[in-house]
Amino acid sequence: MRLTLASLGRRMARWFARVGALARFCFEAIASYRTMPGAGRRVSGRVLANQLRFTALEGVGLVVLLSCVLSFLVISSAIRQLGQLGATDLIGKLMVVVIVRELGPLLTALAVTGRSGTAIAAELATNTVMGEVRALEAIGIEPFHYLVLPRVAGSIGSVMMLIVVFDGVAILSGLVAAGANGLSAERYFSGVLSTLTTVDIAASMFKGAIFGAVIGLLPSFQGLTVKPDPTEIPRAVIRATVGVIAMIFVFAAAFVLVAGG
Amino acid sequence: MSDPLVFDAVALGVLRRRTIAPFETGEQVGDPGFSLTVRAAEVVVALGDENSGVGSLGAVILGMVQPPLGSCRVFGVDLNTLPRRERLNYRRRIGYLPVGDGLLHNLTLRDNVRLPLRFGSELGAAEIEQRTDAVLDRLRLQRFGGLRPADANEEERRRAALGRALAFDPALLVLEEPFAGLTDQVSVELMAVARGDNGMVRGQRTVFISGQSLPSLLHPEVDRAIHVVRGQALENQE
Repeated sequence: MRLTLASLGRRMARWFARVGALARFCFEAIASYRTMPGAGRRVSGRVLANQLRFTALEGVGLVVLLSCVLSFLVISSAIRQLGQLGATDLIGKLMVVVIVRELGPLLTALAVTGRSGTAIAAELATNTVMGEVRALEAIGIEPFHYLVLPRVAGSIGSVMMLIVVFDGVAILSGLVAAGANGLSAERYFSGVLSTLTTVDIAASMFKGAIFGAVIGLLPSFQGLTVKPDPTEIPRAVIRATVGVIAMIFVFAAAFVLVAGG
Repeated sequence: MSDPLVFDAVALGVLRRRTIAPFETGEQVGDPGFSLTVRAAEVVVALGDENSGVGSLGAVILGMVQPPLGSCRVFGVDLNTLPRRERLNYRRRIGYLPVGDGLLHNLTLRDNVRLPLRFGSELGAAEIEQRTDAVLDRLRLQRFGGLRPADANEEERRRAALGRALAFDPALLVLEEPFAGLTDQVSVELMAVARGDNGMVRGQRTVFISGQSLPSLLHPEVDRAIHVVRGQALENQE
């Protein structure tokens, strides 16, 4: 019994130490922005542009597909069910509350995690294992400036942009689903537009920014803290992916609780 | 004017990530540690086996590890006493070629050479290109500048890593195992570039080399060879 408790205690202590290290990493990464040299900002800007291209531009196809399918399924099913109750006027509210406000940011963040979160963790873990991060420091380049900040900013910007794409495509796909199920475009749009407010859009963007920061920071932390051993690279990717997914769901739940309050 | 590099009773051990662990057989309290002064324009090589502590010297010089005892001063400054930001700035005064090459694999060889200039200097784009071209020319790397490290051979990668170390034209150059896997002729050529030789005129750059061995053709090229045994400079040969 004592041994079990001791083992549990050790694991908890390790977990808390890891969380503390993550918090410190995030703080140092954000604080390092102030010390970035002017020339470094231009170079990091190019890394950021690459990150946006890879994460946002090349991720559009996946987000459009997810958005189309999800919106079509949800709206089609909802019209059939609500039609039986004579409550198809609620379709607009359903679209805004469920898809624009909740599922849009959530699914977009999960798609970006699958594409870019894993890539960030794998790339930075490889950089670390190959000695590239140490070499960067040795030639006077702060790894936070060159490796972390552009990826975090790129993830935040990408998730926010892709949420706009997701929501736009979802509304259009919902229109197709409404038409296919006998609901007029006029009724559909009046329902959506009467419910959609700037607060919904702002809340969606805010969630996107938080999710994007998580997708940029956690995989960077996992990638840069691996042991110098190639077998650690896939482990870092797994830890990053699982951690990001868990944190995204926790934050999503927290938003609902706060907004509900 | 301070000597470019002074080790003062530095306790060397086995480098483990960002710390220096004691030798596995146990360090004796009172061991004198590693002491060495490298004077301006000297070429000094420190040789030792895997567990001698020689592998920690580069990290100690650059302030990337804090030795448990003793200090290392570069141009009179102990980098470990500097705040992180100043330490990064200071490192730009030191050219560094890490063991292996430490090149970024997502950049071309040319971009690797250019990176420290683009990130850490206020030079204009044209001047950066001019300097990069000069370094690549000096290292006979222009034709291969567009290759990524994965597509280049070991010699080309090592030339690019040396080019990156020379980008700021540093007064002190620290090279870790720079000649491993290279032919003697290439090693002699790279040594001349590292020293800053101009034709038959010997360059005035201070060079500190650490590693396990030195190609025989290079023996006449170095001013002093130090043998590191269990963290101490036991033998000096002029």
